[in-house]
Amino acid sequence: MDKEELYKKHYKKLFVIPIILLLLSIIFIYNFNNKHGDIVNKDISLKGGITATVYVENVNTNELEVFLDSKFNDILIRRLSEFGSGKDIGFIIEAGDIDEKELRSVLEEKVGKISDENFSVEKTGSSLGKSFYKEMLKAVLFAFLLMAAVVFIAFRTFIPSMAVVSAALLDIIITLAIVDLIGVKISVAGIAAFMLLIGYSIDTDILLTTRMLKRKEGELFDRMIGAIKTGLTMTAATMVALSIAFIFSNSLILKQMFLIILIGLLIDIISTYFMNAGVLWWYCNRKNEAR
Amino acid sequence: MLVCYGGIVIGKMKLGNLLRDWRMIILIVVLLMTIIAIKPMPWNKGIEVVKVNQKELLEQGMSSGEIIKSINGKEIENLKDFNVELGNKIEITTNKGNYAYLGTELDVVVKDVDKSKIKKGLDLAGGTRVLLKPKEKVTEQQMDNLNAIMKTRLDVYGLSDLNIRKANDLSGNKFLLVEISGATKEEVKELIGQQGKFEAKIGDEVVFVGEKEDIRNVCKDDGSCSGVSQCNIVDNGQQCRFQFQVTLSNDAAKKHAEVTSKLEANESNGEYLSKKIDFYLDNELVDSLFIGADLKGVETTDILISGPGLGSTRDEAIKDALMNMNKLQTILMVGSLPFELEIVKMDSISPRLGMEFFKNIFLVGGLAILGVALVIFVRYRKFKIVIPIIVTMISEIFIIIGVAAFIGWRLDLAAIAGILASVGTGVDDQIVITDEVMSGETAYDWKEKLKKAFFIIFVAYFGTVVAMLPLWNAGAGLVRGFALTTIIGVTIGVFITRPAFASMIEKLLKD
Repeated sequence: MDKEELYKKHYKKLFVIPIILLLLSIIFIYNFNNKHGDIVNKDISLKGGITATVYVENVNTNELEVFLDSKFNDILIRRLSEFGSGKDIGFIIEAGDIDEKELRSVLEEKVGKISDENFSVEKTGSSLGKSFYKEMLKAVLFAFLLMAAVVFIAFRTFIPSMAVVSAALLDIIITLAIVDLIGVKISVAGIAAFMLLIGYSIDTDILLTTRMLKRKEGELFDRMIGAIKTGLTMTAATMVALSIAFIFSNSLILKQMFLIILIGLLIDIISTYFMNAGVLWWYCNRKNEAR
Repeated sequence: MLVCYGGIVIGKMKLGNLLRDWRMIILIVVLLMTIIAIKPMPWNKGIEVVKVNQKELLEQGMSSGEIIKSINGKEIENLKDFNVELGNKIEITTNKGNYAYLGTELDVVVKDVDKSKIKKGLDLAGGTRVLLKPKEKVTEQQMDNLNAIMKTRLDVYGLSDLNIRKANDLSGNKFLLVEISGATKEEVKELIGQQGKFEAKIGDEVVFVGEKEDIRNVCKDDGSCSGVSQCNIVDNGQQCRFQFQVTLSNDAAKKHAEVTSKLEANESNGEYLSKKIDFYLDNELVDSLFIGADLKGVETTDILISGPGLGSTRDEAIKDALMNMNKLQTILMVGSLPFELEIVKMDSISPRLGMEFFKNIFLVGGLAILGVALVIFVRYRKFKIVIPIIVTMISEIFIIIGVAAFIGWRLDLAAIAGILASVGTGVDDQIVITDEVMSGETAYDWKEKLKKAFFIIFVAYFGTVVAMLPLWNAGAGLVRGFALTTIIGVTIGVFITRPAFASMIEKLLKD
């Protein structure tokens, strides 16, 4: 009972945390947009350019970077190392508008022969990159609206449905701010990860809403605690799996997707239990009083 | 003794009960169907020809898809065996026949034979991906037409391990996505990107074009009427020339006679006529040839078409000439594409990178499953719960891969991400079911409990599916694999593996 009393007294204070996080995120994203001209830091697949992966062992990437900087502008280089041994196995180059053949011949000066066997390259035209970006934003918007429709149809009550949808929106906005903050360059796959986050985000909210709203047995507080226990187990299982996948995966595409969902799930704990749970608590009690 | 015996009986009864449950029967049937769909064939040996570049082998009729069994008497089981010491004479045995020629080089692109029906996508197998966009507005029908011609063109060129599909985006733009394994980018860039409008002109007059109505036959892969000759040193290396014969239609031959009859003899060299015949491909001059004086006004159906190949060495120049010849022959045989295209994206992934990704997936997947098992064990402390969850997860992965093999979908990195995502959702649902049935003491029965659990699961399911739907077309369908495997995965989960899991957990926890 003590716990319930404590919660009753203070649950509204818990709202402060997600709201502050949301405000900070919006301010950050606003500034980010002013500074960079967009709300996300786009990678080559969304703004056009070349990504080249070269498998040549033991190349001094620092030296190579200085060399490439003198030849091209706007070029980025990353070391690739084998998992486990940490052995150098190659490097990845990202660049805006440069000619692939030119890049290849300049690279050959430094690292020796490059063939199709040890050279991978992805090239996206800048207009296509831009259209991809617009398309993916549209897709996120559609996904969000469709999800909202599903939630409203399932629960048919305004406030609880709104709470689920708001929690998902909060997850997306705060996650985006964090992703921008830590300097991740988002790819097409990264935006797809945001869409998946929508799906993951509502799982725990639906669980909570169903248990608190649609059940009759037991006390409301116990039902809420039960739902939180189940929900946290779910989130813990997914987060452990994602963390492992993030650490051990050697694909940058997958790593980025895992990272975005991981951050999103962490935020989802706050939005679900500090905000959505409180809204439902308030809603159920108000309804009971009205009776 | 008695206790022990009793325990066994209970165990057997439980298992028996479980196997009689329709939900388990469905899972087992689906798993068996999955094995049939994947069709594992670990005993397959040899290497498959992806593309033949060696002139002699082309002339003897070797084609892509054949499986090399031995080279110079040495049995070939996998790619490692392919690096055999070649002497001066090369003898190859494939599943279709024997080939032999004198030479020291063997220029054939190969890959390991398929060991199952699972198809690896481009970023796991290596190859070239090209995304094409029409330069003008086209209809769906025109896109179908383009799709068909492109397929034929690549097939005639000798590339058959490919994946071509149309794609739209959310703004209504149309694209054609072409993925080819075993070809180099330089090689296919023109073959795919060029519209291929061929014109043979004398002066300003068109004599014939590269379409079916003018060209009856093109000599290809036949040394008696096509080949590379005349190499000479040029500014920065060597230049060789290719030539091959084409057979014109009677109308085109008449046109040739008509145009040449107006020409005079060449002033400086009387053996030739005053004007040359120029070959244009997409309005660019490929080559220009003198016309023999004896051809003036003659209705000839046999015409030689030629062009150059360049390289820093003689060998490279020959190779380049052969490649250019093959391209031009292909374009003339298949005809031009119905409209102009623009290459908007071009990726090539080295087979080595693909291999690294592929090996890594098993490690990541295995460790992630272990991680989930650990969390479940920490929470429930019961193997009775951990084991069904792991069994369900693995069944799900297996069935998704089976469905992909069945519909011929290539598994790429995006698809793998989708599989992981749907298995993750699956675990969430299983935890919901477990907690729902374990919330023990209250009165309502098992069926009621599962019904409640499945309400949560279904709402979450539809939420995920609708969130993935817009990805079907967004971004020219490049992330369709992700959306598709996620949707397949969660659907299989909700309708097949989750009920089976509920059945398992019900039987195991009921006592």
